Amino acid sequence: MIFVSKKIFLLFIFFIANGFAQISLQQQFDYSNNLFNQEKYFDAITELKRLQFFDTENIYSFKSNLLIGKSYKAGAKFDEAVKYFTLAEINARSDDELFNSKVLNARTNILRRTTKQSERILNDLMDDPKFLSKQNEIKYWCGWNYIFNDDWDKAYEIFNQNNLDTTLANLCKSVDDEMYSEKFAKYSSYIVPGFGQFYTGEYLSGALSLSWNVLFGYLTINSFIEDRVFDGIMVGNFLWLRFYSGNTQNAEKFAIQKNLQISNKALQYLQFNFAGERP
Amino acid sequence: MNYLRLLEMTSLKKMSSLFKSLLIVYFFFPLSYSQQIDFQSPQNIKLFANFLFCEKDYLRAVEEYQKYLQLIDDDSVQFKVAIGYSLMNDQTNALSKFGLIKKTSVFYDASKIQKLKSQFLINIDSIFYQSADLLINSNSIYSNNAYKLKNTSLLFFDKNLRSKENFLIPFGDDEKNKLSVFYNLKNNPPYKSETLAGIFSAIIPGSGKIYTENYGDGITAFLLTGLFTYLAYTNFEHDHPTRAWIFTALGSGFYAGNVYGSIASAQIFNAKVNFDFNEGVKLFLQEQNYFTPSYDFCK
Repeated sequence: MIFVSKKIFLLFIFFIANGFAQISLQQQFDYSNNLFNQEKYFDAITELKRLQFFDTENIYSFKSNLLIGKSYKAGAKFDEAVKYFTLAEINARSDDELFNSKVLNARTNILRRTTKQSERILNDLMDDPKFLSKQNEIKYWCGWNYIFNDDWDKAYEIFNQNNLDTTLANLCKSVDDEMYSEKFAKYSSYIVPGFGQFYTGEYLSGALSLSWNVLFGYLTINSFIEDRVFDGIMVGNFLWLRFYSGNTQNAEKFAIQKNLQISNKALQYLQFNFAGERP
Repeated sequence: MNYLRLLEMTSLKKMSSLFKSLLIVYFFFPLSYSQQIDFQSPQNIKLFANFLFCEKDYLRAVEEYQKYLQLIDDDSVQFKVAIGYSLMNDQTNALSKFGLIKKTSVFYDASKIQKLKSQFLINIDSIFYQSADLLINSNSIYSNNAYKLKNTSLLFFDKNLRSKENFLIPFGDDEKNKLSVFYNLKNNPPYKSETLAGIFSAIIPGSGKIYTENYGDGITAFLLTGLFTYLAYTNFEHDHPTRAWIFTALGSGFYAGNVYGSIASAQIFNAKVNFDFNEGVKLFLQEQNYFTPSYDFCK
């Protein structure tokens, strides 16, 4: 009887010993979490790294890596954030933990504009039968991925599916409607020099482009009419063709610039005025 | 009677067991408390700081080491703080931390040469040369390292270098080969004359660019200037003034651009010579760790 009691007693001591260690690790995690909530990200990372250093049994590996990743993300250190979210994925012990870390990884990739990588992560989640119940959330981030990839049309389609997010769907639609067609600007200028510039609202540039092309076109044709073939080739090659190709490139450049302005304006609106969840 | 004796013996056994249990409690209970991790104990702070240092997270490592130094005076940790700042390229802080190493410390000599390195990286000025001379003339084991750093630093200035033999004195054979090349390049840089480049291009369009080793541009300038000159001439000859003036304008533009471009090309060439030379010396110094000893604290 005494022998049995001794065994129980030793076990009791052992559990108490471990229990105390776990309590201090828990306290350390709570302290780090508190720092994170106070937006003291540098200190939070230090304390979480300290927790990881003393957590020899990796009890807090997932939680600490996830929170370090979040802290780096909040401090716009996206490369480090991705590293720690990936470590959290490796240490995830349940489907929910895996899902959370992968989604955060994808969101960070969206922010650092490595949209191919985020697309791959989100597609993997979409194809995983374990996460069938979370399809809407995955699609939501796919939509954001398209936004950051400047693919407003596809983003609209995703947000519009089953009314996933009508505010974002309407915004994407309006941005897509506002965008200039870069191809149209370029190819219309092939047909009528200066047309692409007029299309993008650059009237002076369009008028100048048209004038130069008319002048050098006239001189080239005139040279051929006067049997000055070599002159015609030179004027045509060095002046007319130069201004003609410059005009199409210029039209395309204007369309790209205008689209960038529209896109940036929309992203700025989303950053400061959109109330829903953002990457 | 036997029953009483048996009872007495059982009680004694029980007492003995109880005593043993109490002994176990006496030894194990404090042990259980000791399992509660004291994250802020000096030893644990130092262990964690070492871990951060080896992870190359120098900013946090330095912060932890400084926390440790508030509790315990440790010159090796003080030295690591300074090295940490130096590795983060925060040379101003590194300099002040190396300055805190006491004369009695085993790291004193090492801190002197590290301090010189920091001064070099902040600015190569009179303070750097004063410190270098002090170290060179001292009995430090690093006096020759200081001599090497001082001589190499001279390569960054336009001043005339001392004689080659004197310049190469502190260096070993391998270093001598490389520094000999740098020395020759410094004394006779392969510059191109801007004036010559301009004159060449004024006489034969494009030749100035060829002189500055810009062959493609040189040939293009020669062909285009020649072509437009010919076209202008032939159009004037055949009484086509509009085209003639257009080609004259184009030819003149290319001619003037070719002269100006050749001068600019010579300037760019010379700037590249300087840039390549300075980068070469910097790379050499980095490879040599600025003639300071390297430390591996993470073995």
